[in-house]
Amino acid sequence: MTGKPVKVKITYCAECGYEPQALDLTKALMYEFGARLSAIELVPWESGTFEVSVDGQLVHSMKRDGGFPTQAVVSSAIRTRSGGGSSV
Amino acid sequence: MTLDRARWDKGLTYDAFKAAMTRNQERFAQNEDRVALDPETVGTFASLPQRLRVLVLAEDWCGDVVANLPILGRLAKEIPTLDVRIFYRDQNLDLMERWLNQGKYQSIPVFVFFDENFRELGHWIERPRTVSERRAEERKKIFAAHPEFGSPDAPVDGLPEDVRTRLQAELQKMREDMVGFANAEVQRELRELVSAVAV
Repeated sequence: MTGKPVKVKITYCAECGYEPQALDLTKALMYEFGARLSAIELVPWESGTFEVSVDGQLVHSMKRDGGFPTQAVVSSAIRTRSGGGSSV
Repeated sequence: MTLDRARWDKGLTYDAFKAAMTRNQERFAQNEDRVALDPETVGTFASLPQRLRVLVLAEDWCGDVVANLPILGRLAKEIPTLDVRIFYRDQNLDLMERWLNQGKYQSIPVFVFFDENFRELGHWIERPRTVSERRAEERKKIFAAHPEFGSPDAPVDGLPEDVRTRLQAELQKMREDMVGFANAEVQRELRELVSAVAV
């Protein structure tokens, strides 16, 4: 992946025990993309929220899509957004 | 899964649960301090003809646990015949499966009332419906009063940080303002539950 660094934001319900899922996804993205991400922002929220956006574009919402996102979905969005294709 | 004495004894007492909390301990204590037990609630439980066991499913990260378990805890301090044992939801999924919210959600807290012989008498889950409804109404009002918050149905993800912080403060204030109502509603539902099953 040679494109521009992208920012990932993970908004999770801090009153629902979603920290493990947020941390697992964060860790996976850190290992997969490293410095090719400009930042990973974690936002504690409420109301059963689990949302992931890449450069401001929502790629997963628990309310919209149901459940937690797979790493593959988020990784794919990062590659698409960065313009780096599928090679990382 | 059968609840028996051996399993029951593995549950934590209310005080043991509080001591073992890894987060929200301060909020929990604050909520406990401000619980105003309705004399009608105390009277209802005090007049029950038998000792009740209350199995609780909980986790210390859960907002509804932090809000509502202290009410049961305070009540149990007043009513010696109310025996409370708390089980961590995520370590007792076989218990959780028995009392799913709407048959599918692992909502907590769950309060399950048993008689002395572990015969289930009734259960209570998460929070009163009236509280959820009132919160939804108040939430709509907040969004209506603050167009910068956008749609109440839109992902919060898209809000600028300063706006999101203001929204969070408004929502927290709304919940704080509703504590009295919410606590009264929890007590009303618990009174109605045990009154219906009292033998």
